[in-house]
Amino acid sequence: MSEPSPEVYEQGRGMDAHNQAMREIRARKDRTYDPREPTRVWLDEDNTPDGVYDSLTIILNTGGCRWARAGGCTMCGYVAESVEGGTVAHEDLMTQVETCLEHERDNAEDPAGQVKIYTSGSFLDEREIPAQTRRAIAETFADRDRIVVESLPDFVDRGKIADFTDRGLATDIAVGLETATDRVRRDCVNKYFEFAEFERAAADAREAGAGLKAYLLLKPPFLSESEAMADMTRSIRRCAGVAGCHTVSMNPCNVQRHTMVEDLFHADGYRPPWLWSVADVLESTADADVIVVSDPVGHGSDRGPHNCGECDDRVQRAIKDFDLRQEPAVFEQVSCDCERTWETVVERERSYSMPLAR
Amino acid sequence: MTDYFEVHERDGAGRVGELRLSDSVRTPALVDDVLADAGSLWPGEREVPDGDESVLTVLPHRALPGGTPEEVREAFAVEYPDVEYPSAAVVAPDTAADASAAGTDAYILSNAQELTGHAGAFVTAVVRTREAIPADSALYLPGVATPANVATLAYAGVDLVDTDHAVVKGTQGRYLAVDGEYFLEDLTDLPCACPACQQPVGDFGREDCETHNVNALRAALATVRERIRSGRLRDYIEGQARHEGWLTAVFRRLDQQYGYLEQRTPVLRRAEVTATSDDTLRRVEIQRFAERVTGRYHCRFDNPLVLVPCSARKPYSESQSHGQFHDAIQFRAHVVSMTSPIGVVPQELELTYPAQHYDAAVTGHWSATETAFVADVLEAYLRRNDYPRVVAHVPAEYREICERVEGRLDRDFEYTVVDHPTTGESLSNLASTLSTELKYGKRERQHNTLRAVADYQFGDGAGDGIFEELRVESHYPKLRAHDADGEQLAALVPEYGVLSLTLAGARRWLDSDAPTRRVEIDGFVPHGSVLAPGVVDADDSIRVGDEVVVEGPHAFAVGRAEMSGPEMAESTRGVATRVRHVEER
Ligand code: SF4
Ligand SMILES: [Zn+2]
Ligand SMILES: [Zn+2]
Repeated sequence: MSEPSPEVYEQGRGMDAHNQAMREIRARKDRTYDPREPTRVWLDEDNTPDGVYDSLTIILNTGGCRWARAGGCTMCGYVAESVEGGTVAHEDLMTQVETCLEHERDNAEDPAGQVKIYTSGSFLDEREIPAQTRRAIAETFADRDRIVVESLPDFVDRGKIADFTDRGLATDIAVGLETATDRVRRDCVNKYFEFAEFERAAADAREAGAGLKAYLLLKPPFLSESEAMADMTRSIRRCAGVAGCHTVSMNPCNVQRHTMVEDLFHADGYRPPWLWSVADVLESTADADVIVVSDPVGHGSDRGPHNCGECDDRVQRAIKDFDLRQEPAVFEQVSCDCERTWETVVERERSYSMPLAR
Repeated sequence: MTDYFEVHERDGAGRVGELRLSDSVRTPALVDDVLADAGSLWPGEREVPDGDESVLTVLPHRALPGGTPEEVREAFAVEYPDVEYPSAAVVAPDTAADASAAGTDAYILSNAQELTGHAGAFVTAVVRTREAIPADSALYLPGVATPANVATLAYAGVDLVDTDHAVVKGTQGRYLAVDGEYFLEDLTDLPCACPACQQPVGDFGREDCETHNVNALRAALATVRERIRSGRLRDYIEGQARHEGWLTAVFRRLDQQYGYLEQRTPVLRRAEVTATSDDTLRRVEIQRFAERVTGRYHCRFDNPLVLVPCSARKPYSESQSHGQFHDAIQFRAHVVSMTSPIGVVPQELELTYPAQHYDAAVTGHWSATETAFVADVLEAYLRRNDYPRVVAHVPAEYREICERVEGRLDRDFEYTVVDHPTTGESLSNLASTLSTELKYGKRERQHNTLRAVADYQFGDGAGDGIFEELRVESHYPKLRAHDADGEQLAALVPEYGVLSLTLAGARRWLDSDAPTRRVEIDGFVPHGSVLAPGVVDADDSIRVGDEVVVEGPHAFAVGRAEMSGPEMAESTRGVATRVRHVEER
């Protein structure tokens, strides 16, 4: 059974514990942010159902995810990048958008065809982004081809999506599904919704003429390397089977500040996934009827997905290449001595003996 | 009930055990080939498997790796089912106690990676887990064993390990040995005779390195098992663990967990203590002897004290130098030997373990730690025992210690050595210093010896309590204690310098004020041995090698403990006590 929002979710013992621990961990952060500054903005390239696009990617500073304030997901440090306390005013949010446009004008010849807007939570949650602001932002980008907005599935409804589709924008909703396995999402990630809710959001988005992009997390805490790969492979195939979900973005977990994952990492209880695992999953799911991409953040560092240090850049390049071409043969051209170490870890590591190699 | 693990030999916290699968496995051992993992509950629901006796089944588990917050550990701890086949439970140190309710045969610590390399955390976690789980269950530390660390792991109380870390290291071109880790590319020689290493170093690849690492780990484990069987694991650790800082820190920190080690250390063994470093002074055997000599023993002679240096030959009285001292002293004084690492040894206890069971590195020079230790013990000894005169017949390096103690006690010692204790001048000084003193007789000497050993072995005052009236038969060192009616109470065992009691002696012990060590058994009459399942209760103070009284509704017996008291009480397998004499009742 699916649950509509964090407030009414029947909180189990495990979730209580996760939330309590995460609240304590998050309380260690001491930085606050200017509500008129976006969290981050950058330009990149994306493979979309309509081909490869230049993207303007924006992380709006919205006052943070309400789920994170309750404790929230074990790997997510975004709340630490939100303004102190409550909501950000409409005017301030529009100032942030203006700053992003300036960035684009300064760094690109032409406006990007696609705009991606993330928040530290849900763009479609009206307590984060009021309806007035949502419409104003839709208006601001009405001249683009495509827009992607991030939201938890409970906030996805036809009316909100229409604000974009009505302006002729090809619209995608990016949902942080993390995994198709409810148990992993609940117990390892501590995210409160269920796969059925994702399916409902996909159906609604489809009816409103929008698509869904699933964000999956490779290697949440408490899973061994092989368990994480198996869960990811299964999740990609399940997402491929959801009508309206045309893209999966696989995010290899990285170690963010003030998270449970960081505590585990510091105590030798967690290692981010190997880049070989990313490559292996991409290769083995290339036949799935869905675009699968991955943009390993912090690759090659201890806190990000990494191999031995020698081959990280080469494997990362192959992954980026795959993102654009969806061609599994790209991985045949990279090899390194550390593949044998990775194979040994995949074969031998158990959740009770991890991490078997750093 | 732990049905599939049994401890056969104990040496401190280290044990040789048996994983009783259809093909039994001697531990400490690798479990790679006998482990069947029923899987993690984190990603999915699992069935409790049917299991079988050929493998150790890891019950469906939720690992709690290092850094898992406490509330999460509590909330996600698994309640393990009680199954009929060999099984293991995955635990964190603080969930082990609850998990042990199901009585699995082995426990797997899921934060092993957090512990290795960090001596403080390692010792705290292993001690805590070991104390939470039954003594006759195996402790498995997964994914961390190397040829270099495995002896220390076993010394701390780990029974099971695997080859995973050693193989991973091999894939990374790290060549493992008991003395640490080498980069394969740096090696000119392959310092090993295993089959994988029988080739030119230039042809030796990473796969060979994996094979070698596993071979080296196997050999290291065999060494550990042999060392435990011979009661010499600590001696090995003091040398071998020095190759890695954290391992040295582990055994030193374990010395600070005195209660944990003391409970698990036998009160006597055949093997010698190898005293080659200051760390030896912190050994349970050494600390225990010093504690008993300064806390249980008291001198029954009225004569002056003569302090003499120890001899290499043991017992001291059989050495040439002590023979010369004896000729000069002529039973006019009580002789106490000063020694590192033992401290002080009164003449009555020269046979008592480990007073004749150590081999020191003799350099004629003592470290500051040794000097401080012997001075402390001598001071405590003299505070407890009042002598009319203290004669120090010692060479220069001992004299320093004597002077330190003189100062602390504010009393004067008489020094008799010129140059060296065995020079003619020194010996005649010694003789003339004592010439006016009265001699004590053979009877007094024998009585005092038996009573001193009883004090040492059973507690302060036990010598007078058990041997209220005493007749001694036979000759030193094979003394036998009888009561006034001629009934034998005890015999001195010359190899260990301890008493073995008869049933009559055991009754005297029970009647005396000295604390008794009792093993309470079910309604049977034990012959040869008492097995752990037959033990109803046992005093906590019982140690391996201790004299114990065995009592049950149908039997009264005396024997020697093969387990500590707590281990007897909580074990379901193994020999608890060897019985020497028994009578039905
Ligand atoms: S991952 Fe998303 S839902 Fe979870 S805490 Fe972070 S922002 Fe909130
Ligand atoms: Zn590599
Ligand atoms: Zn070898």
